[in-house]
Amino acid sequence: MSEVDMAVIKPERLQICSQMMNSYICLQTADGSIQQVEQEVAMFCPMICHEVIQKGMGSSKNCAISLPQRVNPAMLSLILDYCRFHQVPGHSNKERKSFDEKFIRMDTKRLCELTSAADSLQLKPLVDLTSRALARIIEGKSPEEIREIFHLPDDLTEEEKLEPLKNTTDDPRIRLLNRLYAKKRKELKERQKLKNDEVEEERADDRSVDDLLSFINGDNGDSKGNKTSKSKKKNRKRKDQQKSTSTNETIKNHNKELNGLNSVRCSAEVGQKSWATSNLLDVEDDIFASKNELDDGDIDDEIDPALKEKIDRNGHVILEFHFKAWCLIFFNCLVIENP
Amino acid sequence: MGDVSAPDLISDLPQSIVESILTRLPIRDAVRTSILSSRWRYKWATLTQLLFDEKCVISSNDRCKVEDSLVKFITRTLFLHQGPIHKFQLTTSHLQCCPDIDQWLLFLSRNDIKELVLELGEGEWFRVPSCLFNCKKLTRLDLFRCEFDPPPSFKGFLCLKSLNLHQVLVSPEAIESLISSCPLLESLALSYFDSLALTIIAPNLKYLCLEGEFKDICLENTPLLVAMSVAMYMTDDIAEHFEQSSSCNFNRFLGSVPRLERLIGHIYFTKYLSIGDDLGRLPVTYVHLKVVELNQVSFEDMKEILVVLRLITNSPNLRELQISGSSNTLATIDAPDLDFWDDERPSDCTFKQLKLVKMTDMSGVPHEMEFIKFLLANSPVLEMMSISPCVYVMDGRLNMLIELLRFRRASAQAEILFIQD
Repeated sequence: MSEVDMAVIKPERLQICSQMMNSYICLQTADGSIQQVEQEVAMFCPMICHEVIQKGMGSSKNCAISLPQRVNPAMLSLILDYCRFHQVPGHSNKERKSFDEKFIRMDTKRLCELTSAADSLQLKPLVDLTSRALARIIEGKSPEEIREIFHLPDDLTEEEKLEPLKNTTDDPRIRLLNRLYAKKRKELKERQKLKNDEVEEERADDRSVDDLLSFINGDNGDSKGNKTSKSKKKNRKRKDQQKSTSTNETIKNHNKELNGLNSVRCSAEVGQKSWATSNLLDVEDDIFASKNELDDGDIDDEIDPALKEKIDRNGHVILEFHFKAWCLIFFNCLVIENP
Repeated sequence: MGDVSAPDLISDLPQSIVESILTRLPIRDAVRTSILSSRWRYKWATLTQLLFDEKCVISSNDRCKVEDSLVKFITRTLFLHQGPIHKFQLTTSHLQCCPDIDQWLLFLSRNDIKELVLELGEGEWFRVPSCLFNCKKLTRLDLFRCEFDPPPSFKGFLCLKSLNLHQVLVSPEAIESLISSCPLLESLALSYFDSLALTIIAPNLKYLCLEGEFKDICLENTPLLVAMSVAMYMTDDIAEHFEQSSSCNFNRFLGSVPRLERLIGHIYFTKYLSIGDDLGRLPVTYVHLKVVELNQVSFEDMKEILVVLRLITNSPNLRELQISGSSNTLATIDAPDLDFWDDERPSDCTFKQLKLVKMTDMSGVPHEMEFIKFLLANSPVLEMMSISPCVYVMDGRLNMLIELLRFRRASAQAEILFIQD
C-alpha cells in the first residue's frame, strides 16, 4: 500500500478501533431491517470482513453493511448461528463435525436458500457443507424423484430424453452436408468396388496440357456469375474424367499439373479439392457422376428424376456454398493480380 | 407430481455451486442430471473433474460385458463433455491394455489435463502413449501397472508437483531424468521397483515414499525434504551388493536433509543404513526431526543399533520414537558387545523433548533391554513408554518385566505401559 493510501485509511482505522471496543456490527438485509451482531461472529464471513476493514462500514446504523439480496433475515440468522459456533477456536474437530451434521438437517428449500446466501457472503466452509448435503440428496435417486424434490419442470420431450446430447455449437448446414457426403461416399465406394470387379483396363488421360489450358482459358470469360453454366462445364470436365478409371485420382493428377497456372477458375476449382468443407465438390461429383453413366449428354436434360429432386432439395445449399467460396477466391486473386 | 407452480429451488444457483454439487456426486449420477430438465441438460458437461470406476456401470458376472460398458460409458462421457478437464481418474481392475485408453489420453492431452490417475488391472500392463508426455500442464501423475517410456525428446513435466508410480515398468535412467527434469516436484512415491539404483535430484521435494528392492539410494539434492517413508526389500542380489558396498549409506541417504521432520523406515531400512564405513563422522544435526519410526530393527546387529543411536542422538528436538524389533533368537543371557552400554555408549546425550516412546515386537534380548534402559535414563520429559512383547515370546515376558522394574527413570511422570496383546 502506498503512503497516500495509508493516510487515507487511517481515520477509518481509528473508527474501526473504537468500533472494536463496542464490538457490534450493523448489518442490513435486502428488506431494510437492520441487525446488530457481535463483531467476532460477523467477521467470520469474508465479505463482511472485507466491508469492515476496506471500507470501514458497519460501525453504526447509519452506515450499516448492506448484505446481498440473496441473504434474507431467516438465512442470516442461520448463518450467524454457524459462524457463532465455528469462530470459537476451542472446539475439537469432532465437535465441529457433529455440529455440522445437526446444522444441515433442514428441508430442501431452506438448504438451497442457505447455499445461495452463504455463497454470496463468500463463506466457503458453509458452501461446501451445504453442497455436500445437496449432493447426498441427489445421489442415487431417480430423475422423477429429483424433479419432485426440487420442483424442476419436466420440459424435455421424450425424444430429447432418448437422444444423445447434441453439440450446442453445431452448424446445421455442416451437419447436413456431412450427412450427404457420408451417403455419397458410401455409394461411390460401392461403385468403385463394382468397377474393380469388372477389371477395366486403365486408360491414361492422354489429353495434353495445352488442351487443358485452352479448355480452361476458353471458359474463363463466361463463367463469372453463372451457376448453371458453371455446373455444366464442371460436368463436362467430370464427364471427361469419368472415362478414366477413378475420378479422384485423375482430379488429383490435374491438380498437380495445373498447380503452376495462374488461372483463377482453375485454382478455384482445383484448389477447392483440398478444402475441408469442399467435400462438397465430391458430393457434387457424385451427384453428377452417377448421371454420366447413364448418358453422355448435357446434364440439365438428363438428370435422373429422383436425383434431380435430391439436388433441388439439397443442391442449392451445396451450390450456394460452392459459389460463395469460389467468389471469395476469385476476388482474392483479383486483389493479388491488381495490387 | 408435486406442486407445479412451486418455484424451482436449485436451477438458479450459480454455476460454481452447481458444479460443486455435481463434483460430489458419482459420475454416473452427475451425467444423469442431464435429463432432469432443459436447464440441466448441459450443466454437467463442463465439470472439470471426471472420476471413473466400476461403480459407473451395472455390475455383472460377465467380465467382458462390464469392460465393454465401462469403455462405452467413458468414451461417450468424454465425447459429450465440453471445456477443459482438469482431473481424470480411472480406477478399475477390469481394464488392462485397451486401445480406447490411448484415445482417451489423446483427448485429455488436448484439454489441459492437470491431474491424471490411472489405476488399471492386473494382467498385461498398459503401455503409456506418447501423447501423455505432451500434457504440459500436468501437476499430478499417478500410474499403477503401466509401462512408462519417455521419448528422447521429452523435456520433463514443468508443472508436475506430485508423482506416484506403483508397479511401473521404467528404466532407471528414465526415472532419474524424469525426477530431475520436473523442477517443481514436491511429492514423490515409487513403489514395487526391482533392483533400482537411484539418485534423486529434486530441489523442491518435500515428501518421499520409496518401497521396493533398491540397490542404492542417494539423496543428492533434496534440501527441502520434510517427511520420508522408506521400505526396502531384500533379495540375494541386493544382499550381495551390500556386502561389497564401500560407501557409507547413512551419509548418502541422510547426509543432506536438514529440514527432515518425519522419518519412517520399514523392513530392511535400518540394515541398509548400517552398511558402509563411516569415514570420519560428519555430524549432521537434524534440528527439525520430531518423529522417528523404525521398523524391523535387529537388536542383534551392533551396527544397526549404532545407526539408531546416531540418528536419535543427533536429533535434539525428537518428540516421538517408535521402534519395532525383529530378533530371531529368543532372549538369551549372553550377547556379544554388551559392555558397549557401559563403556562406549554415547555420553552427554539427553533427549530433551522426547515424550513418547513405543517399542513393539520386543523379544527381550539383552540389547533391547539395554536400549530401553538407556532411553529411560536420558529422557527427562518422557510421558509414556509403551512396550509390546513379540507374540512368540511367552516365557520371557516375566523376565522382561522384572528387568524393567529396576530401570532408573529420569522423568518423574513417565508411565510404562506393558501391552499384553
